Amino acid sequence: MIPAQFDGLMPIVILMGIAILLFVGGHFLSVVLSPKKPSHLKQTPYECGEQPVGSAWSAFNVRFYVVGLIFIIFDVESVLMFPVAAIFRELNDMGEGAYALIIFLSFISVLLEGIAYCWKKGDLDWVKSFQVSVKNNK
Amino acid sequence: MFVQLLFLLSASLTIGCAIAVAVTKNIMHSCIFLLGSLIGIAGLYATLGADFVAVTQIMVYVGGIVILMLFAVMLTGGKDFVSRAQNLLGLAPSMGNKWTYGVGLSVGLVFLLTNVKLILSISEYFPEKKFGNEFPSTVTQIGHLLVKDHVLAFELSSVLLLGALVGAAIIARPRKQ
Amino acid sequence: MNQTLVSYLSQYEFFDVLLSLFGKNEGLLAFTIYLVFAGIIVGLCATIGGLGTYAERKISADIQQRIGPNRVGPYGILQFLADGVKMITKEDIMPFTADKFLFYLAPMLALIGVFSTLAVLPWSNGFIMADLNVGIFYLIAISSLVGVSVFLGGYASNSKWSMLGGLRGASQIISYEIPVTISILSITLLAGGMSFGTILGQQEGAPVHWFLFHNPFAFIAFFVYFVGALAETNRAPFDLPEAESELVSGYHTEYTGMRFGFFALAEYIEVFVVCGVGSALFLGGGNLPFSTTFDIIPLQLVQVVIFMTKTLLLYYVVIWVRWTFPRLRVDQLMSICWKYLTPIAIFNLVGNAVWVVVFHGKSIAELLSGGH
Repeated sequence: MIPAQFDGLMPIVILMGIAILLFVGGHFLSVVLSPKKPSHLKQTPYECGEQPVGSAWSAFNVRFYVVGLIFIIFDVESVLMFPVAAIFRELNDMGEGAYALIIFLSFISVLLEGIAYCWKKGDLDWVKSFQVSVKNNK
Repeated sequence: MFVQLLFLLSASLTIGCAIAVAVTKNIMHSCIFLLGSLIGIAGLYATLGADFVAVTQIMVYVGGIVILMLFAVMLTGGKDFVSRAQNLLGLAPSMGNKWTYGVGLSVGLVFLLTNVKLILSISEYFPEKKFGNEFPSTVTQIGHLLVKDHVLAFELSSVLLLGALVGAAIIARPRKQ
Repeated sequence: MNQTLVSYLSQYEFFDVLLSLFGKNEGLLAFTIYLVFAGIIVGLCATIGGLGTYAERKISADIQQRIGPNRVGPYGILQFLADGVKMITKEDIMPFTADKFLFYLAPMLALIGVFSTLAVLPWSNGFIMADLNVGIFYLIAISSLVGVSVFLGGYASNSKWSMLGGLRGASQIISYEIPVTISILSITLLAGGMSFGTILGQQEGAPVHWFLFHNPFAFIAFFVYFVGALAETNRAPFDLPEAESELVSGYHTEYTGMRFGFFALAEYIEVFVVCGVGSALFLGGGNLPFSTTFDIIPLQLVQVVIFMTKTLLLYYVVIWVRWTFPRLRVDQLMSICWKYLTPIAIFNLVGNAVWVVVFHGKSIAELLSGGH
């Protein structure tokens, strides 16, 4: 007998299990049915006909990381806003709509300042404009 | 029965992946085992009936932090670092000799015994709660608490996030030479 | 309280018959019902994924004034089966410098991420497998596993094309999650809850009650959601991570055979799920155009048909957009997300909150008809 609030977890676990089974089954099927003739040329990473030079695992530009940082901040912000948004109408019906609105808006405005700062300082640009000036100063 | 099964799955996933994080030699594999461990913890939250916290765990940790860690490892060249396992069956990465392991183990034992004594004495005073079929949604409860009792913490968390955003943007900016 | 398929079916008489068959073991009966329904859904979605590839080729052929596949089966409709058989029988090549563990794991993570979202998709008002209290929130959370798998696929191949495709794909997916989440926040605000049952319950009746026509902010939020969802699933014009001319297929360059099949299957099912969510949140899901007081199984099946129609309509628009617009450059992609969509989405959220307070959550239709 499952307590009612755990009823919904069973389909999720079942579907995850089906995904894993599908993957394993498909892999097994392709192992059985496909030819296996490995050669050095086939297993070289594709680089449009040239021989690959060096490993692909070299360092990349830091802007990917900056995008990830800004994303995580906004992710946590939206997660914190979800419970407040879910009861917003309820609070409004109880007559405390203005209070909830003020709280909500002050939360959002602080983070709007954050995005405005990043925008102005050029962190949201994919190609930073002051990199050009560094080159010119040399 | 299902809840026990879910708990067993989540707990074994968490513990297994956590051990694998510490034991794997390749740092990218460690990040992926961390992903598995965090999913296991989300499953543990789900078995406690905390559905909102479980989904928050998945959204913030799995969808954000793990990707960020993967990016950070890639960008700082950490993936070239392969740890050389030292002692203790060649498993634990360069943690020291038998003295450090001995001290660590005894400290852990003392900590465990203290905690067990504390928890046992606390549970005498609080009766066990039983889940009824009318368990209200945790989302509305959390919402009401955030807006009524903990509204200052709610607003201050936005300021904290702003500080984190500005700090991260400053640190990640390339230096002007 | 979570509503589930089992708790919905338990109000019918045949449920008690089934229960006595299983020896009064309700847990086992629930498990069997879920297993059967999950099997049906997975089969349906795999077919839709396959037919999606066929539909894409036919529609693109139509737009480009050619014919498209028409050999295999009547009008070429069995083309996806032929493609599937072909993919299984292809050799499974792995580059010898690749990271074996992560190479194997990436398609599986994508499949797990996409299949787990099928559990909360509202096929009709009763046939939701698990109507969690955090339904829509869970859906966007678990589909971020696909972003991890894109990055892993790109990284594990150890090829420069794949690495770049994987990095760009992952940063694109995580960036566009923000406008999508904030648009969904607007709908949560209007509906008063995150579960699909609540959201669908607010949209019952004539199409004027859809959230699309609720207020102008929700109208704009639909388009923000749609554009963001296009980018999240790496569909054109946001498909730079898998662009043929720039990156030779990006993060799945080195994947062959069935593994590539799994990536493609995961992408097409994800497009279907995203369109399904869009039709449930904004277009009223499976709601009938009139309100009824009784509830029988055939009525639920009609609702399933309505839901599928709306979803497939959105799917057609997604395919149509792919063959109409040119591809975006990566800096244009990022600036659209952070400089246009996110501020617009936050503006929508603020507008919706103000609307709820000022007009007590009534839609435009309700205000015009005198506030019933």
